[in-house]
Amino acid sequence: MLETTALPRKATLPPPLDTRYQVETPEGIDLPLRPAGLMVRALAFSIDLGLRGLILGVLFIVLAFLGKLGAGLGSILLFGVSWWYMVLFEVLNQGRSPGKQWMGLRVVHDDGTPIGWSASLIRNLLRFVDMLPFGYFLGAISCLQHPHFKRLGDLAAGTLVIYREQPLTRPQLPDAQPRRPAFALTLPEQRAVLGFAERQGELSEARSHELASILAQPLQVPAPRAVAELNAIARGLLGPA
Amino acid sequence: MRLSDATVVIRPRTSWEAMDLGVLLSQRHRRLLMTSWAIITLPIFALLSFWLWDSPSLAVFIFWWLKPAFERLPLYILSKAMFGETPTLKQALRQWPNLLKPQLLASLTWRRLSLSRSFLMPVVQLEGLAGDERQQRLRVLLQRNAGAAQWLTIIGVHLESALWIGLMVLFYMFLPQQVELDWSWQTLIAVATQDWRWLEHLTNFFYVLVLIVWEPIYVACGFSLYLNRRTVLEAWDIELVFRRLRQHLNTTTVTLLLAAIMLVPTTQNVWATEPVITPDSPRLQDQPLTSQASRDSIKTILDQPPFKNKETVTRYRFGEDKPDTKTPDDGKTPEWLKALAGLLDSQRFGFIANLIEVLLWAAVMSAIGVLIWRYRDWLQAFVSRRPVLNRRAARPLPQQAFGLDLSRETLPADIAASAESLWQTNPRAALGLLYRALLSHLLHDHNMALKPADTEGEVLQRVEQLHQPALLAFSRTLTGHWQNMAYGHRLPPAHLQQELCDGWRTLFGPGAAR
Repeated sequence: MLETTALPRKATLPPPLDTRYQVETPEGIDLPLRPAGLMVRALAFSIDLGLRGLILGVLFIVLAFLGKLGAGLGSILLFGVSWWYMVLFEVLNQGRSPGKQWMGLRVVHDDGTPIGWSASLIRNLLRFVDMLPFGYFLGAISCLQHPHFKRLGDLAAGTLVIYREQPLTRPQLPDAQPRRPAFALTLPEQRAVLGFAERQGELSEARSHELASILAQPLQVPAPRAVAELNAIARGLLGPA
Repeated sequence: MRLSDATVVIRPRTSWEAMDLGVLLSQRHRRLLMTSWAIITLPIFALLSFWLWDSPSLAVFIFWWLKPAFERLPLYILSKAMFGETPTLKQALRQWPNLLKPQLLASLTWRRLSLSRSFLMPVVQLEGLAGDERQQRLRVLLQRNAGAAQWLTIIGVHLESALWIGLMVLFYMFLPQQVELDWSWQTLIAVATQDWRWLEHLTNFFYVLVLIVWEPIYVACGFSLYLNRRTVLEAWDIELVFRRLRQHLNTTTVTLLLAAIMLVPTTQNVWATEPVITPDSPRLQDQPLTSQASRDSIKTILDQPPFKNKETVTRYRFGEDKPDTKTPDDGKTPEWLKALAGLLDSQRFGFIANLIEVLLWAAVMSAIGVLIWRYRDWLQAFVSRRPVLNRRAARPLPQQAFGLDLSRETLPADIAASAESLWQTNPRAALGLLYRALLSHLLHDHNMALKPADTEGEVLQRVEQLHQPALLAFSRTLTGHWQNMAYGHRLPPAHLQQELCDGWRTLFGPGAAR
């Protein structure tokens, strides 16, 4: 019997959309990166802009007492802060300027390696092009149109702004006697069962019953007991912990 | 709505990632979304401008106020496209009047200024909720992601204005220079009082253009935020996997059962007719897919790119001899060449070949030798492992020997006199002083290379090398008595005091300068 997993109607459809970007290492391991889009980057940029304004404002007030020397120092400072703020933070702080750090972002090369001097300089020098003709006009359009949300500077430097991996907290599973399922589960299915047990607190009770009853028949338990059964299987999958 | 038909990967995301998914969604359907938006908004904008020609600001304000009404169309298109039923442009436009019916007044009046408009729009339009039910739903939805939805609108406002001003600047930059000359900032500011309405309507038109780009994205982002909230609330991703698992389990059970029922009676026949079933036998010839055909198709697939990458390389090389197709003219040259080759291969030339080989190797060796000689300094400087010690460095004079201080400054001015005076009370100190003075003298006046590790005997050997018998004799006596004193604690005889002091005076002069 010839059996295909996909329905024939779906053969011509494009692959489902996802916000993940896979980098394959030479060992054949897929590293999923999550490119960050315009909205969160705009917020991170405004934080950086505000911070720079604050630094410059405070220092200018101090330098104003120094007369002409202060004016000279001030212009040097203006140059340094406006051109080197992003570069120094990105290269020396693992691709994170304060705004990006706040929003949980970081900059990496296209292949996921940490950003270096040349890439950071290029992407920040080309901000000028992105700003044309006013307020990141070109950058915003490029960012909205690119599948990995790159602005022109990112395209030139080969960099990517991604979400940082956040530390995970240990999820709480409902108490149950561990059990093994009667049939083999693939990895996504095991994850789904575990996810069902972990996220039960967020689901309404009716909804978790509804979800569990989908599997009541294959599990060979009455529908009301399916939730407990799935929790038991999840405990079993989790192992002694 | 069937979750398994979704054209996006359903999983819980952070709110910002959900917005990014909205951007991707709008990218995929950009053409449809933008054309449909342009088709419904441009005529309305034209009508408004024509109607309110004298107050352009009011026209653009009314247009801006009507945005929620326009936004229903992109949302409809997206909600259909989400589950794989992308409507055509005509279908979408025909649907728009129907979409306007539910709660239009509310969304154009008291809900118009809500910051989370795009996030909550699907509740009315897609779920069709109203009144208390809607309020309840909003409460649940807004427990999370409300902040993100508001940020989306705030960012949208800023982006719209940035793009709007950007378009105006672009327009200004592209003006020919002759036209630009007539304009100054005063006239631009005073434009309202003059008869330049068309300019204001033009800038309004820029705003409409900006919305054609931005509004579909805004609606898509709000929609994907809504989807994400529901994915988290209702665990859509889990439902999807569970349904697939049940389907998979059911089909396998059914297949197994069917196979068991069908195969049991026929097993005997199969065994009788075909006792040996190996992968090579052309079994099951009646099937649409025979083993032969499947093997062939596997082979063709394996011969294609990801498995086998064929590459055609073209380059020049000398044509090979083809003895069969030789023409008489071609035959001449190869004949003598062949004879020569045969000659060279023979035994006689064997030793010549060896000789040449030896010579060539010798040439290579000598070339390497010459190279090393040529760069010997460089090699010494950079290749040698141990740094060469600079032997000529002046060794500092030792300040001590056997724990005795040898510097001149520590000795008294008249050594013989002070030794005499010390002798009565402390003969050990007196002898020590004499010996110390002798060493100091040897060190400083005779430039003797004393090392801190030298023994008394070695010092005497060095004194021998000076070839001064008087000094040597004195040194011998003094050293002997000093050793007796220092190590054996044996007092020298009393007459020795005078003897040594006199010896000192005769050797180094009565003043016995240090």
